[in-house]
Amino acid sequence: MIRYVVRRVALAILVVAGVVVLTFVIARVVPGDPAVSWAGPHASRAEIARVRHDLGLDRPLPVQIGRYFIGVLGGDWGTSIHTHRPVLSDIMDRAPASIELVLVALLFSLVVGIPLGLVSAKWPGKTADGVIRVGAVLGVSMPAFWLALILQLVFFQRLHLLPVAGQYDPNLDYTHPLTQYTRMVLVDALVTGNWSVLRSAAAHVVLPALVIASYPLGVITRMVRASVLDSVGEDHVRMVRSLGFPERSVFGRFALKLALNPVIAVVALVFAYSLANTFLVEAIFDWPGLGSYAADSISSLDTPAIVGVTLFVAIVYVLANLIVDLVQAWLDPRIALR
Amino acid sequence: MGVQRGGRRIAVMAIVLGVLTVACHGTSTGKSSPSAGAGATFTYDVTSQVMIGWDPATGYSNEVIAMNNMYEQLTRYDSTTQQVTPLLATSWQSSPDGLTWTFTLRSGVKFHTGRTMTSEDVKASIDRTIKLNGGAAYIWGPVDSIDAPSPDTVIFHLKYPAPLDLIASADYAAYIYDTRAAGSEDLAKWFEQGHEAGTGPYELDQWNKGQEIELRLKAFPDYWGGWNGPHYTRYVFRVTPQATTAAQLLRSGQVSMVERMTPQLWQTFQNQNGFTTTDDPSWQTLLAMLNTSYGPLADERVRQAVASAIDYQGMISALHGGAEQISGFVPPGLWGHVEDLPNPTYDPQRAQQLLAQAGYGPGGKPMTLTLTYVQGDADEELVASLMKSDLAKLNITVDVRPLAWPAQWAKAKSSNPADRQDILLFYWWPDYADPYSWFINLFHTESKPYFNLCYYSNPRLDHMIDTVESEAATDRHKAIATYKEMQELLLKAAPALSLYTQVYQRAMLSSVKGFVENPAYPNVVFAYDLTPG
Repeated sequence: MIRYVVRRVALAILVVAGVVVLTFVIARVVPGDPAVSWAGPHASRAEIARVRHDLGLDRPLPVQIGRYFIGVLGGDWGTSIHTHRPVLSDIMDRAPASIELVLVALLFSLVVGIPLGLVSAKWPGKTADGVIRVGAVLGVSMPAFWLALILQLVFFQRLHLLPVAGQYDPNLDYTHPLTQYTRMVLVDALVTGNWSVLRSAAAHVVLPALVIASYPLGVITRMVRASVLDSVGEDHVRMVRSLGFPERSVFGRFALKLALNPVIAVVALVFAYSLANTFLVEAIFDWPGLGSYAADSISSLDTPAIVGVTLFVAIVYVLANLIVDLVQAWLDPRIALR
Repeated sequence: MGVQRGGRRIAVMAIVLGVLTVACHGTSTGKSSPSAGAGATFTYDVTSQVMIGWDPATGYSNEVIAMNNMYEQLTRYDSTTQQVTPLLATSWQSSPDGLTWTFTLRSGVKFHTGRTMTSEDVKASIDRTIKLNGGAAYIWGPVDSIDAPSPDTVIFHLKYPAPLDLIASADYAAYIYDTRAAGSEDLAKWFEQGHEAGTGPYELDQWNKGQEIELRLKAFPDYWGGWNGPHYTRYVFRVTPQATTAAQLLRSGQVSMVERMTPQLWQTFQNQNGFTTTDDPSWQTLLAMLNTSYGPLADERVRQAVASAIDYQGMISALHGGAEQISGFVPPGLWGHVEDLPNPTYDPQRAQQLLAQAGYGPGGKPMTLTLTYVQGDADEELVASLMKSDLAKLNITVDVRPLAWPAQWAKAKSSNPADRQDILLFYWWPDYADPYSWFINLFHTESKPYFNLCYYSNPRLDHMIDTVESEAATDRHKAIATYKEMQELLLKAAPALSLYTQVYQRAMLSSVKGFVENPAYPNVVFAYDLTPG
């Protein structure tokens, strides 16, 4: 088991390093000088030369990559070109909002997706199953930006039920200032008992979370359905059934237990996927997360920030994979032996 | 076991979700929340992060829209009268040779740090700005030394004559600040932690980096202008990248004014009860720089043909009010602007004749021109495609290439002339209220191209450019005459086409009174001058 863990972790580090080198090279191969973006529109030759030197852009690319790695290990992810601030602190400021959004979306997908999958598997081929399966396919294939605009149109413009954008009503900063611990507004509001902000934040999170949930919801529903159907056919479930357990327990406990393993795997991967998928949704809902930061970085050739965001997402991806591998190995020791 | 644990977890999740759902229920939506625009708070909705840097010496990006409310310059340019007006200086005069400028300072001006401003502070801040030499500090290039002979007098000694009253009014790099604000700490570091030390009507209240409500300012009680009469006492900067969202926020009264919208959205506020709209020309001029040193456009006849081939009116109407044609190169509101200059007009027949003389045009040699513009700029994209279709009628193929600005600029500066573009679209605007910026940067001979991206070289023009700043320092009427002559020369030789100037389309709540656009300070809203209705 330990050898297995070491192997997985080593592989994970290698993957992250590879991603960084690749992004770095691609970002630098794109023509244009990041120093131009830094120095401002009418900057003089001398000013640009000074900035190039200050940013280390006048050194050979391998040296820049090497220095970057040394920096990353020491917690220095470079300085963003467009915000003129340390990339790591920029990311740490922005990431909680994105993670919060994705967590809410995943929570929703699980709470809704698992029962739907079970219902679907209980009566395969029936009307309910058909509706759920079509819905799942729609959820997976629906373009996020389109869904977002439709939801805004219906719930804000027509029904006036939910706010159109933002994380919470900014006027509350005057009346009910929020103390920040985690920078996740829902969590901070809950912990500090700031009910006004909590209410507002909860209302604001609904639409973007629904949009982000559409993909994982579809995936989870289908995954639960497929694996429950698989396990229902297996001997031990047939035996449980023949022992006279009520159908509800057969599905809800015994079949689901076996089916949960692949679902866990999928949830972890979908989490990482959704973190990158939020970028577009954040832009539409003005969500102050990583997405808007990444978009601004790309348009200003902000190499350190682009590489930083990529590195962050890669780490989350790899961590998610790693956790899946380890949890699965723990649940099913046969995996570690392979 | 595992199932039970899982089940419990799911149950907990369901409860949390339930709490959230209940919490959502009955939450006030944007529609019914209290209006931030009413009362004494002015909320300015802007499209991107405000505070890029905090140092008033080097600030050269979006932060100046806030800094101009926290800091002040010695003078301010008034685009309505085209005159320089007093701010921290009450009067000034230059020596007959334009080399010595004496400013008399306003008395009783306090910094937000509590100290009273003296001539020593003026000298110290401008000296520091020059020394740091970042951002737009080069505007002080003519300054040799600064004297502070008495607490209310500052004397600038220049290396060569320059209109220092205009330089002192600049949008950036001209702020007067308390250089002792940080005490024994490093001042630059102190600023970058999110501090300010200005004399302006508003002082920093709260900065939330990266948040939607990024910046809050509040009235500075000891402001020299006083707070008698109705004023906004709080100033909030709200960042909304999406134009549609910004429009929604204004419609629901959550913001007082929107910096920028699409023309289509802006039109929905026109003649609407409860809203005021303005559209005024900016100083952001769009230029098509023609390659005068290499390729077909090196022939003046071909350049003039291209100038006659473009349907300027069609271009303006395609931009739905987002642009306005200007006479010459200097935009309206800036001294040196001359009405009724001989701008090229849309005349396909003349274009065809000129091309025929040069051997091109329908029936002649085919011509291919590369055109570069800034990727992602929708207006430039539209202009590029219109130019492409206008020129296609004359047997000219335009190869349109959108590039990020650093890439576009790198291509334009290629050492091999064959690698450069034929036509380059970009915006130009002055760093202070002086038309000099266009001429010295865009049209003065350069041994290695930098901003003269039409690669134009004309000794007669160079001579006029070299003398016009000293004329501006001593005799502004004479300088205006020179600017007229230079523009006429450029319109004839056509090294660049002055396509249009952008129009600022603002929309605000009708409770916001007294807004006057001042293009010398792009996108700055001087909230102190507004009256809450």
